[in-house]
Amino acid sequence: MIRRPRVDIVSAGAYHARMITGGCPFSRRRFLQVAGGAAGVLAASALFPSLLRATGEKTVDVGISSAASPAERARGAVALVGGMKSFVSRGDVVVLKPNIGWDRTPEQAANTDPEFVVAVAGMCLAAGAKSVRVFDRTCNDARRCYVSSGIKDAVERFARTNRVEDVLRIYHVEDRKFVRTSIPNALSIKEWDLYRDALEADKIVNLPIAKHHSLAGITLGLKNMMGIMGGNRGQIHYRLSECLVDIHRRVPVALTVIDAGRVLVRNGPTGGNLADVKTFGKAFASRDVVAADVVAAEKIFRLAPRDVGHIGKAMESGLGISSGAQIRLVEG
Amino acid sequence: MKTTRTLRRASQWVVFLLFAFLFLNTEYKDNDVLPYAVNLFLRLDPLMAGAATLAGRALIGVVWPALVVALLTVALGRFFCGWFCPLGAVIDAVDATVYRKAWRKDVVPESWRRYKFLILFFLAASSLFTLQWVFLFDPISILIRTFTVSVFPALNLVLHQIFDGLYRAPGPIPRVSEPVYGFLKSHFLAFEQPVFRTSAFVGLLFLGILVAERYQRRFWCRNLCPLGGLLALVGRFGLFRRRITEEGCTRCGLCESNCRMAAIGGDVAVTDHGECIECMDCQAVCPEEVIHFSGKEGRRPTAVDLTRRGVLASVALGAITVPFFRVEAHGKAPDPLLIRPPGALPEGEFLARCTRCGECMRVCIANGLQPTWFEAGIEGMWSPILVSRIGYCEYNCTLCGQVCPTGAIRRLPLQEKRKVRLGLAYVDRSRCLPWAGQSDCIVCEEHCPTGSKAIVLKEERTLTPRGEWEMFKKPYIVEELCVGCGICETKCPLADRAAVLVTSRGETRSTGVLAR
Repeated sequence: MIRRPRVDIVSAGAYHARMITGGCPFSRRRFLQVAGGAAGVLAASALFPSLLRATGEKTVDVGISSAASPAERARGAVALVGGMKSFVSRGDVVVLKPNIGWDRTPEQAANTDPEFVVAVAGMCLAAGAKSVRVFDRTCNDARRCYVSSGIKDAVERFARTNRVEDVLRIYHVEDRKFVRTSIPNALSIKEWDLYRDALEADKIVNLPIAKHHSLAGITLGLKNMMGIMGGNRGQIHYRLSECLVDIHRRVPVALTVIDAGRVLVRNGPTGGNLADVKTFGKAFASRDVVAADVVAAEKIFRLAPRDVGHIGKAMESGLGISSGAQIRLVEG
Repeated sequence: MKTTRTLRRASQWVVFLLFAFLFLNTEYKDNDVLPYAVNLFLRLDPLMAGAATLAGRALIGVVWPALVVALLTVALGRFFCGWFCPLGAVIDAVDATVYRKAWRKDVVPESWRRYKFLILFFLAASSLFTLQWVFLFDPISILIRTFTVSVFPALNLVLHQIFDGLYRAPGPIPRVSEPVYGFLKSHFLAFEQPVFRTSAFVGLLFLGILVAERYQRRFWCRNLCPLGGLLALVGRFGLFRRRITEEGCTRCGLCESNCRMAAIGGDVAVTDHGECIECMDCQAVCPEEVIHFSGKEGRRPTAVDLTRRGVLASVALGAITVPFFRVEAHGKAPDPLLIRPPGALPEGEFLARCTRCGECMRVCIANGLQPTWFEAGIEGMWSPILVSRIGYCEYNCTLCGQVCPTGAIRRLPLQEKRKVRLGLAYVDRSRCLPWAGQSDCIVCEEHCPTGSKAIVLKEERTLTPRGEWEMFKKPYIVEELCVGCGICETKCPLADRAAVLVTSRGETRSTGVLAR
C-alpha cells in the first residue's frame, strides 16, 4: 500500500509535528526520530566538525536562503554551498532546466519564478560559462507556457540588457533533437528519448519550483528533470519513482536550486487558484539533488523523505546522499 | 497601354501576399489577442455575408466590409474577380505557369456559364430557408479551408522532412541549413506539424479547380463561382467599363482571343459587362490602342443568359431540399462527440453562420479543432469539432472566437470563455489504469486546468487482476467544475482510446437558446 503523503506547509521557523486524522504519515515517534537525529547530527557536526570527515563518510551541503527576493534567495543559496564557481567551470556549456510546464503566471506558482531563473543564469555567466541554454518540455502549449510563466521575457530581457544574446538563450524543445538513449542498469526504463542538449551539456543546473503534486506527493528537484524526456511521458507515471532514478543516473545534474518562494500547496502541479499559493520565502541549493529534495521536503512540507515515493526510491537505490547524518544544513 | 494590366497584376500579387501574410499570422504568436484582422478576406465577401445573414436571421456587424465591396461593384463592375480575389490570383498564376496555350484544350461550351447563376439562386433559396451551404462554393472559404487543412500542413511536412534530413547530414551541411531553418521556423513553418481530418479530400477538390483550367481559362470563375455570379449580376450595371473607339478598330480579334473570361463576344465592340472582370488584357494587346476602360457615358446593362424556367427551377430546388435535411435524425439525437468550439452558437444558428473557412482550425493552438465529415450531417460538413484525442481546448486561449468571421463562434473575454462548458468528461472505468487495478496514474488529474480541479483522486481499495486488494488513486469527475476542454482525453497515457473521454453532454450552448 502506498501511503498518501499529506501536504501541508509550515511557516518558516515553526517546525512542529501535527497529528493528522486518518492515515498519519508522520507520527510523533517518527518526528522524534527524525528531529532527534537531525538535531543530534547538527549538534555533533557543530561541536566536532572534524568528526564526520574522520569517519570517512561523504557529506553534502544544502544551502537554505531566506533572503527577501527570488533573485537574492537564488544567489544566497548558491553562495552558501560554495558559489557557482564550484559547479560551473570556465568554458562550460550549461543547461538550465527550470519548470516551465504550465500555462500559468508566476503568482500562480506552477512554474519557477522568472527572477530566480535569471539570477541563476547570471551566476553561470559570471562563472565563465561558454553558453547557457534554457528550455523545458512543457505540458500545455509550449508558446503559452514560455510567455505566461514570464521566463521567456525575463531571460531575453536579461540577455539583451547585458548584451549576451549569443550566450544566454531560451528556446523551445524540438522533436528532432530527442535522442534514443540507453540507460545502463535501469530500474525501469532501459531506453528513452532524451533531449540532445541535456545529454551534450557540460553541466546541468536543475531549477525546480517546490509544489504539491498529486502522484509524487510533492515535486522538487528529482521530478523536474522529466523536462528532458521525450515520448509519452504519461506512461512513466506507471512507475514514476524508478523512472526518475533512471533519468538522474543517466543525466546527473551538477547543481539543484529549488525555488520555494511561493509554494503551491493544493491542486498541484497545475494550480491556478491564488488561494492555494503560500508564501514560504526560501531557496534550497545543493550539488546533490537527493539531499536537496530531502531537506526541502522536510522543511517546506514537513514530509519525511521516505513518505515521498520517488525520494524514498532514490534513497533506496543509493542515487545520492540522503541520510540526515551526511547532510549539512547551511542557512543564511 | 500596358500600364493598367501591370497594375492589375501587381494588385493580384499584393492581394495574394496579403492573404498569405494574414494566413500565416492566424496563429498564436506570444499574444493573447491577434493584432490583425486575420479574417479580413472573409469579411469582404458579400456572398458569405449575405448567406449567413439570410440563414442565421441576424444582422452580422463584423461583415460590413462586404457591403463596401458590393457598393464598389455597383460603381466599378466585377473588378473583384480580376483584381482582388485571391483564388482568382492563384488560378491565374497556375494558368500562366502550367497551362500555356499549347496545353489548353478548350472544350467547355459557352452556355455553362449560366450554372454559376443557377448555383447562386439555389444557395440563396436554401439560405432563405435556413440551410446554408454557400461554403461548398464560396471561393474565399474554399481557399482558406484548403490552405488550412491541406496545403499548408503538407508544405510544412515536406519542408520539415528536408531540413530534418539536412540537420542529420554529416559535415558542414547543418551549419548552412540550420540558419535557413531557423528563419523559416520563426516566419513561415508551423510551431508543430498540424494534422487534419479530410485533408486529402479537400486537397483533391482544390486540385480539381486547378485542373479544370486545362479545359477553359478561368473555368471556375466563369462557370461555377457563385460569388462571381453575384458580382456579375451587380457589376453589369457598373459605370466603369470596357469601351472601344470604333473608328480606329481593325477588327483584328486579338482582344477577343485573349479574353480570359470570354466576355467579348461576336463583335469585338460588344462586351458582356457581367462577365468582364476588368483584367485589362484586351487593352494591353490592342495594337491600335482603341480599347479603354472609363466611367464616362453610361450605357444599358447587358442581358444575362438565363431563362425564367432555369431560375425558377434552381430557386425551387434550393427551397425544396431544405425539409429533407431538417428530418435527418441527427437533429433529434446529435452525435455525442460533436463538441463545438467554446462560444459556438446553438447548433442551428451555428451551422447557418459557419463559413467552413477553417480559420478557427488554423488558429487552434493545440490542433484540437478539426473539420467534421458527417458528425453534423451532410449540411454540417467541414464545420469545426473538437477532437480531444488529437488536441484539447487550451484553458487560457480565446483565439477561435477572435477569428470567426461571422460570429458563429462568439468572441468571448477570457473570464467568460473559461466558464463555457463544451461537454463533460467521464471515466471509462474498465480501461482506466487505477480503476482497473493496474497501476497508479493521475495524468488526467495533473493536467486538469480548472483552478479547483474538476478531476479529483480518491484513494480506494481495489481488486487487482491478480485477485489482491490494493490501494489506488482513482479519478472522479466533478461535473460542476468540468468545462469539457478535453486535455484529460488528450493526455491520457493509454495509447489508442483514452480512458477518460469528453462528450457533448451539458454543453453550455444548448442549455441557452434551443437549437433549431
